[in-house]
Amino acid sequence: MLLEVENLSVGYQTKKGFLKAVEEVSFTLEKGKSLGLVGESGCGKTTIGMALMGLLPPNGAVTGGRVMFEGHDLLKMSERELRGIRWRKIAMIFQAAMNALNPVHRVDDQIAEAILTHNPQISKEEAVKQVEELFELVGIPKTRMRDYPHQYSGGMKQRAIIAMALACRPKLIIADEPTTALDVIVQHQILQETKNLQKEFNISIIFISHDISIVADVCHHIGIMYAGQLVEYGRREEVFNNPMHYYTKALLSSYPTLSREKKQLLPIPGDAPNLVEPPPGCRFCDRCSASGATCKTGPPEWVEITPTHRALCDRCLEDCGERKHKS
Amino acid sequence: MAEGRHNPLLELRDIRKTYRTRRSLFGSGGREVVALNSVSLEIYHGEIFGLVGESGSGKTTVGRLIVRLEDPEQGSIRLEGVEVTKLRGKALRDFRRKVQMIFQDPYQSLNPQLSVFDTVSEPLTVHRIGNSSQREEQVRKALTAAGLSPPEDYVFRYPHQLSGGQRQRVAIARAMVLKPSFIVADEPTSMLDASISAQIFNILIEMREKLDATLLFITHSLAAARYLCDRIAVIYKGNLMEIGSADEIIQNPIHPYTRALLDALPRFGDCGEMKYYGTLLGREREYVEPSACPFFPRCRPADETKCSRDKPLLKEIFPSHFVACFEPDLKQAEGSGGDTCFYGT
Repeated sequence: MLLEVENLSVGYQTKKGFLKAVEEVSFTLEKGKSLGLVGESGCGKTTIGMALMGLLPPNGAVTGGRVMFEGHDLLKMSERELRGIRWRKIAMIFQAAMNALNPVHRVDDQIAEAILTHNPQISKEEAVKQVEELFELVGIPKTRMRDYPHQYSGGMKQRAIIAMALACRPKLIIADEPTTALDVIVQHQILQETKNLQKEFNISIIFISHDISIVADVCHHIGIMYAGQLVEYGRREEVFNNPMHYYTKALLSSYPTLSREKKQLLPIPGDAPNLVEPPPGCRFCDRCSASGATCKTGPPEWVEITPTHRALCDRCLEDCGERKHKS
Repeated sequence: MAEGRHNPLLELRDIRKTYRTRRSLFGSGGREVVALNSVSLEIYHGEIFGLVGESGSGKTTVGRLIVRLEDPEQGSIRLEGVEVTKLRGKALRDFRRKVQMIFQDPYQSLNPQLSVFDTVSEPLTVHRIGNSSQREEQVRKALTAAGLSPPEDYVFRYPHQLSGGQRQRVAIARAMVLKPSFIVADEPTSMLDASISAQIFNILIEMREKLDATLLFITHSLAAARYLCDRIAVIYKGNLMEIGSADEIIQNPIHPYTRALLDALPRFGDCGEMKYYGTLLGREREYVEPSACPFFPRCRPADETKCSRDKPLLKEIFPSHFVACFEPDLKQAEGSGGDTCFYGT
């Protein structure tokens, strides 16, 4: 197991009180596999990424849990130790990463610099050669290496950022909304290339996105997040073909299909709960079509549907029982 | 929308628009960039018309021309038979009342200093409609119709106190409050989460019913356009490539570019055997005549001689289904796609 996250809780000190952005989130990630963390804005998905990298803002703090990476707890490491791991073993592609390129330096110099900073022992020529290989990998023509970022299209900038993330051959990449703001065709190409690169280098990836359709194609496992909690976790096929949590079901029905019959989109009514004082029971119950009296009073328990598929909902199996009786 | 076929509500004829890039400090002058190249469209009363294209395709320019934020270089735009590009004075003010726009980014389109009430009532004040109690009533109605109910909870709030979806609903209420007959919605959901997008789509559909309005929905997503629109036009580099009913464009796409867009839509769920057209070239052709078909550099099935020399015009290939392609491949790809195959918007 490359990464084991156990009961991770993260909060932010805000004017209105302590905001519990992430509560008791657990998941594991094997070498060479990818996990998609999906949820609406404010559900805590980006916070998890930042917590794993030790990059929380000053008002944020991990309040509990363990993050085991190759057998060491990242949360117990000093800033110095973390710096040895960041980028070299865990790389991150940030939201709107294409704006992360420095406009006054040539793209290849920027990536060579990243390589040299993390591997001071190699020569400049060696670093430039590596950059060349990286550009070939991510599909930027050699003739464009010496360009400045403003000469690149959005897709090319994103490719350059992926090249930079791959520069030190990390074991894990955390990609936060890697394709937001790209056109459909470019997005498709980049997702396909990411998939190929992942296979080729056996990298593990955590994809963070608000859009299920983006992570669906590239991820082996899917974690659905709602209001700071992981509410469903399983293999991709299990989550999509047999969604168990009512939030997952509701989320899926807000996506269109292209089949001959046009289906009515069913938006989820209401708003997500306030995370400064989260409700004692299930956090989704106010918006849930199947909530009962017990949902509001106590926190829901994890229900194991298969050894690899679980949902944080007390009632999800009741419905499943009914369905079995019917068929 | 067959009843209004003969009299389009909005008609664009041979619209051309170019922008000049900024002159560099020592350069001899800006380069001319063609944003729209002889675009002709007809939108009928009561329909939701989808304009689908990638960034830089000119789709937003079409919207801006229609609401007269900009003027075309050539061509005419007629709303209810009246030439829009020549309007002045009172006629222009009346036009601005009839035509409204919903912008892409609700984080930038709302004035942060105005409360929700001020934002939504401002158009009424500008056009001197009603007295203050009537205005209040209309604001209330517009907010409720845009899904912000009860309106009392929202009227005194400011944009920073609202979520992205709520802001976009305020923008919709602001567009609705004048009871426009034509609305341009420019990617109103591209900044929002999927469940919120679905809400906005449904509000736009209701709005058409309630106001008897006609909508131009500008989007990058064929899946969203299929859900919302009666007809769809696909635009690429300022040229219309395909126009047809939404179902026809999705189920029976003909232009290689439309097919490439469909191939690239992110999908998930039980998709079974998916249609795959593979019309996009892996590596773009580099040296292309300016007179070539705009999609020629990326088109796999292109004819190397014909498509590299001339630009095809829109032709009616099936009834009411227009395609700009010299040798359209009428054969559809195999595959049905599961019924629970979902698409990203």
